[in-house]
Amino acid sequence: MLSRFSDVLQTAADVLAPPATRLEDFEYHWKMILNFYQNYDENNKLHIEETRIPHHLHQMLQLIVDEEKEQHGGTVGPCMEAIVQRSICLLDALCALCAAERPPGARALALTTGTALLRRTRQPCVNSAHVYRPLQRMLIQCNESPASPTEKEEVELLLTLCGLVRKEPGLANIFTTPFVEDKSTLLSIPEDIQKLIPIRSKIQTPKKNPLFEVELPPNPLRNVSIIRTGKDDVCNATSSSSVDDNVSCKSHKTVYDDNDKFLLIDLLLSYLNSADNQVVLRACEGIMIVSSLPEDDIANLVTSCSPACETIVEKLAAKYKCVPANVDPSDVDHLNITWAYVAQDFGDKSYSKFNGYRELTSFFSWLDYCDTLMKECHPTIAAHLSRTFRQNFLEGTAEAGITDIHHAVLVTAILAKCLKVVDSPDLINEFSNWLVGDGEVSEWPLLHTLINNCLTENHDLTLETLRFFETIIEKGTEHSIQRVVLARVTSRGYRASPPAPDEDERDRLNDLSIGREREYNREAMKQLQHEDHVNEQITDILSHEGLDPKHHDEGTENIHRVINSFLLLLPRAILSDPVGADYEHYIHDAHRRYQYWLDTTASFGWPHDHGWVDTTASSTHSYDSRPEADIHLDEAFHTKHNAKDHKFSQKLVLRTRDLTSQSEEDFDEGPFFKMIFKLLSNLPTQPYQVNLHLTSIISQLALLPHPNLHEYLLNPMLPTAKKTPTLFKTLQEVAKRLTMEIPRLRNYKKIIENTRQCLMSEDPNYDESGDHNQLVESLIVLEEFCKELAAIAFVKYQHTLHMQR
Amino acid sequence: MAYAYLFKYIIIGDTGVGKSCLLLQFTDKRFQPVHDLTIGVEFGARMITIDGKQIKLQIWDTAGQEAFRSITRSYYRGAAGALLVYDITRRDTFNHLTTWLEDARQHSNSNMVIMLIGNKSDLESRREVKKEEGEAFAREHGLVFMETSAKTAANVEEAFINTAKEIYEKIQEGVFDINNEANGIKIGPQHSTAGGASGAGGAGAGGAAGGGCC
Repeated sequence: MLSRFSDVLQTAADVLAPPATRLEDFEYHWKMILNFYQNYDENNKLHIEETRIPHHLHQMLQLIVDEEKEQHGGTVGPCMEAIVQRSICLLDALCALCAAERPPGARALALTTGTALLRRTRQPCVNSAHVYRPLQRMLIQCNESPASPTEKEEVELLLTLCGLVRKEPGLANIFTTPFVEDKSTLLSIPEDIQKLIPIRSKIQTPKKNPLFEVELPPNPLRNVSIIRTGKDDVCNATSSSSVDDNVSCKSHKTVYDDNDKFLLIDLLLSYLNSADNQVVLRACEGIMIVSSLPEDDIANLVTSCSPACETIVEKLAAKYKCVPANVDPSDVDHLNITWAYVAQDFGDKSYSKFNGYRELTSFFSWLDYCDTLMKECHPTIAAHLSRTFRQNFLEGTAEAGITDIHHAVLVTAILAKCLKVVDSPDLINEFSNWLVGDGEVSEWPLLHTLINNCLTENHDLTLETLRFFETIIEKGTEHSIQRVVLARVTSRGYRASPPAPDEDERDRLNDLSIGREREYNREAMKQLQHEDHVNEQITDILSHEGLDPKHHDEGTENIHRVINSFLLLLPRAILSDPVGADYEHYIHDAHRRYQYWLDTTASFGWPHDHGWVDTTASSTHSYDSRPEADIHLDEAFHTKHNAKDHKFSQKLVLRTRDLTSQSEEDFDEGPFFKMIFKLLSNLPTQPYQVNLHLTSIISQLALLPHPNLHEYLLNPMLPTAKKTPTLFKTLQEVAKRLTMEIPRLRNYKKIIENTRQCLMSEDPNYDESGDHNQLVESLIVLEEFCKELAAIAFVKYQHTLHMQR
Repeated sequence: MAYAYLFKYIIIGDTGVGKSCLLLQFTDKRFQPVHDLTIGVEFGARMITIDGKQIKLQIWDTAGQEAFRSITRSYYRGAAGALLVYDITRRDTFNHLTTWLEDARQHSNSNMVIMLIGNKSDLESRREVKKEEGEAFAREHGLVFMETSAKTAANVEEAFINTAKEIYEKIQEGVFDINNEANGIKIGPQHSTAGGASGAGGAGAGGAAGGGCC
């Protein structure tokens, strides 16, 4: 009877009892997992997905997520507290699963569960030792077997930790020396866990792992921290549990010893060699997340306690070495690679456009990563990485190729493309300094090699090296432009004392004797009409800008002469486009490019025009001598007498000498301008492509807003010593030669017309077809180049006017 | 699978506006209310048909949080289209659009097609941003606009497909240079022989013209 009564009571109690608490549920699922492993049969071949383990883990995770929603003020609920206090050692169990991989698939499940816990909860309490230690162990254990099938899950967990560090930089501490235990501890499973989950670990003897080449101290200190954090650790401060080693708020450590490690980065680096591009991509993202933290301490950790920069550059060098030597250098320039997209593209088997495409893509995508990283990361890391790039890649790997006859063309093409695509100021700086030398060194072998490479018989090498110089100028830093271009012109040594104004000279256009001479020849009449036409055009353009050349404003008059000099350099009879209809196009183009240079060089500390316009008697815009351009060419053209032409030149020379005061020393334009002028004088015998790039470089230089360079390149009336080479003198020589040689070609007018048409049609087959006339091509290059120079001179003058107004 | 073109997309916008859900709805036709926070970038792909042509869409779903912006920026360059998403129930996500747009315009190629998406249109009762406001913003900045619901799938297909149509039209008009991979467009394998050959030749001539003379 009594027992019956108690039965009834019991039943009533069961009915009335509240449902199990969340913690009880949590404990229930935990016990179910432990039960499974207590009774685990090693011979069981079931995959973990066929067991109830995923379900229980999922439930436990869901309980934590649910309880967090009800927590207020940053407190931690009982389930999470059980983990933090290690009364339920879920994370250690995950770690054991990871190590044992029992049943099959356990490791991946453990990793994804760990990742989900960190991603779904707002406060995963990672700074608690009972959370971060198992996570560390898990990662280290996985890392012991490289190229494991769970790489993806491993790197996801790592990336998730990077994300947490990004949000709470203090967490970086848990990956630094005092908080990372020694290797044997990290690789062992705590004894209590071994009892709970009695399965043998798959990993028995630690292999040689580069992460542990430096032995970690056996007794890690608990009180030193490298990272300072401003805010208190929410988890620890408000949780009812007390976590003994709160790593976030410790003293600041700035001195690193050799054994200091930054495990997070070291682990990420180890995945960079994965065969799976997605894994590499994730590791790259992780490195970028951590490197872009604004904390100086973390940046110092990355540069001082990890081989991150060295490893990244080493990988670049390795990819560079993989590029086959027989890649067509002209393929290199067309590549446009974004690092982040390559992982997906590489999955596509058809992803190969030409020989060496994959290797080049792989190299340039890694370069893009380096460049992007340098733009995004902390300045300390950017500086260190760019230095390493220079030492270990440029100097250590690539430099030798420039002097190697067999590879110089391809190497130059690749390096030119490298400089072209990089964008990070640190990288551009180091790159430029490598090319031109640091500081004030007088000779820089590499620069000389490049200049000499332009002057070899090998046109391919000339072409690629010119492209390189084009990029060197385009990506020029104040230092590199100074070294390559400005070094010799800053002294104004090219300039002879200004001659006295010569009234007769000024009136030469109306010179009756020459005019009379012209009348003997109909061609001369046409030339005269042509000159008038050009003059009208210039007047049109000038008045369009509100400059009336009839007003005898000196500046307007001078610019008129400058433009005239360039436009009338070649006689009308051999012009392919005497009308000059595309002149507007050149002005438009020059505007755009000049604005770019004004912006780029704004911080360069270059002198402004006006600075010395007032202090010197003559200047950029006050031209004292008159253009000689149109004097001798038409003469040469219709007389065709070398002797006379020669005499005429002499006359010019004598004139110049008369006007020139004795200069003490001959002006040395320096190796770079020597090379440029040399190539320019070879215009008639060089391939079209070489000439295009050559003139493109010169026009770029002419655009630079530096008063001396401007004067040296764009002032045809510049008084110079006889031996001083200038752009205009060189152009005159070339024009003279073309004027002599082209009319000797049979049916030359037709050839000029046809060649122009071919070049303008941009027919891709034209280059390959054999029957093109290099001489006439060079004429067209020169003709267009003159228009371009005139446009540049005009645009710069116009800008000066606007500034003055 | 064979395709005529491949377009690269990115999805951008504040955290929690439903970017990952839009992608999942489009690629898997399902809605997942609880989603892990996106770290870095997630990837999805689907085949669609435009004008009788198979087009493969590769979609990169980016992390909305400021912390991961350095990674997101890497994806702007090289994308043909972008879905800029805000949440119609959260005014602040709409207010941040200008910043997103500036970031995108600064780092992407100028031809990138941007579609403005007001997501969570199923939550009408909690609406904070009027449809008209979205339309006005889109008009002002030259974007295409649409309200979607990743939950009910309303307009999700349309959002992705209309973006693709716009890119396709730009290709037809010759705005996109399909041989330049930086534009986020690739010609499919069946076209690659012909396209590749003419591409290389054309680029050679282009290089000559770019030299500055002609």
